[in-house]
Amino acid sequence: MSEQQTPANDNQAGSPQDDVTHFGFRDVPKNQKAGQVAEVFHSVAGKYDLMNDLMSMGIHRLWKRFTIELSGVRPGHQVLDIAGGTGDLTMKFSDLVGPTGKVVLADINASMLQVGRGRLMDRGYAGNIEFAQADAEHLPFPDNTFNAVSIAFGLRNVTDKDQALRDMARVLKPGGKLMVLEFSKPTNPLLNKAYDMYSFNALPLMGQLFAGDSESYKYLAESIRMHPDQDTLKGMMEQAGLVNCKYYNMTGGIVALHVGIKP
Amino acid sequence: MFPGPTLLSAMTAVVEGALNRALELDPAGRKALMGALTGPVEFTLTAPLHLTFTLYQTGDRVQVCSQPAEIPALQLAGKPMAFAALATGDGEVFRHGRIQVTGDTALAHQFQRALNQLAPDWEAALAQHIGDVPAHFIGQRIRGAVKWSRQAFTALNANIEEYVHEESRTLPGRRELEATFEDIDQLSLHTERLEARLGLLERHTNEEPPETP
Repeated sequence: MSEQQTPANDNQAGSPQDDVTHFGFRDVPKNQKAGQVAEVFHSVAGKYDLMNDLMSMGIHRLWKRFTIELSGVRPGHQVLDIAGGTGDLTMKFSDLVGPTGKVVLADINASMLQVGRGRLMDRGYAGNIEFAQADAEHLPFPDNTFNAVSIAFGLRNVTDKDQALRDMARVLKPGGKLMVLEFSKPTNPLLNKAYDMYSFNALPLMGQLFAGDSESYKYLAESIRMHPDQDTLKGMMEQAGLVNCKYYNMTGGIVALHVGIKP
Repeated sequence: MFPGPTLLSAMTAVVEGALNRALELDPAGRKALMGALTGPVEFTLTAPLHLTFTLYQTGDRVQVCSQPAEIPALQLAGKPMAFAALATGDGEVFRHGRIQVTGDTALAHQFQRALNQLAPDWEAALAQHIGDVPAHFIGQRIRGAVKWSRQAFTALNANIEEYVHEESRTLPGRRELEATFEDIDQLSLHTERLEARLGLLERHTNEEPPETP
C-alpha cells in the first residue's frame, strides 16, 4: 500500500519503494503525485460542489456538520481548514469564531482556492477569513498557532501523509484538536460490495455526464481504496504525536472522522 | 450505536433550521431566547434513547449540536414528555423533578419563560407564499379548529369527571375528598399533639421530686 502505513518504511531511505507512491491504483514517482492530483482538481474545481452533492446525495453536508459539531470551536478561536476547497467548513467555522477569531482556508490547488474565495465572498463571508495556498506537508505557519485544524477529504491526496499529520500537529496549540474527515472502509461487507459497485461504475459515469471528466472520478474511487483504513489512520495520528485519538464511523464507515488532541 | 453520527447530524440540522425559522417570525421571542442563551444549554433525553443536544448562540442564530458542551451553563435532563411539558409552559416540571436541573436554575426559569413567550407569526410566513387573503382564511380556520379542540377537550374532561363522581359514584367527589383529607390532617395533628403531651407527662412523672431541706 503506501509508505505511511509502516513507519519502518521511512527507515529504508534510498530503496526504490521510497521513491514511488500511489496515484489511485497506479504507482507514480513521489515528486509527480502532487502535480497529477493538481491536474485532477484543476479539472473538477468548477463543478466540485455540484458533484459532491450528486455523488453523496447531499450526505456530505451531514458529515461536515458532524465535524463542526465535534470541533468545539468557540468565539475567538484560530482555525486552520486545510484542503478547504470550496469553503464548506470555513463558512461554518467563520460563524463560530466570530469577529474576534480567525479562520485560514488553505489549499494547495489555486483553482480550488479561487472557487472557494469567490464563493465565500458571494455569501458575504469576510473579515475573519484568510486564504493561503499551502502544502499540507509544509504548512507556512508558526508552531502552536491554531486551536483547531481540519482536513476534509484532502488527506488521501497528500503524498506523505505522515509528514502532513506531523506538520498539522506542529501548528496546533497544546490542547488543540485535529479533525481528519476522510473516506474510509465500510464496516459491513454487504455495504462494502454495494459501495464498490457504486464507486467504480456510477461515479465515473456521473463525472462524464455532469463534469465531462470520468478519469478524475475514477481516480477518486481508486484513491479512496488506497487510503489507510480507520485503525491505520488512527495509529498514524498517534505516531504524529497526537493523543486521545479516536474515530467516528459515518454512514456505515464510508466516511470516518478521526479526532486527535495535541498534548 | 443507533442513531449514528450521520442521523444525529440530520436531526440537529432539521431542529436548528426549524428553530431559527420560527425565531425569524418572532423578533421579541428571539431576543428573549438569545438572552437566555448566554452560555451553552444542554438537553439530555434519558428515555427511550439517551441523546444529548446542546444549544449555542452563534451570531444571531441558534446552533443545535448533538454533542455535549465542554462547559455548559445549564444542563436539563428528562424524558421527552417532560420537555414537551416544559415547552408548553408547565412550570411544575422542575418542582416535581421530572426535569433534573444542573447549573444555574435561574437560567432554567429564564429559558422556560423565553420558550413560553415564543409566538411565531405563522400567518405572515404563510402569506409570503400564498398571499394575504388565503393565508388569513387558512389562519382563521386553524385558529377556530384549535379553539374548538381545546373546548372539546375541556368539556370531555368535565363530563367524564361528573360521570365518575356523581352518576356512577365510582370515586368520591372532589370536595368530599378534600373534606376527608382535611379531617385526616386534623386527626393526625391532634394525635401528634396528644403524643407530645403524653411524652411530657411521662417525663414529669419519671423526674424525681426535688429534695426538701
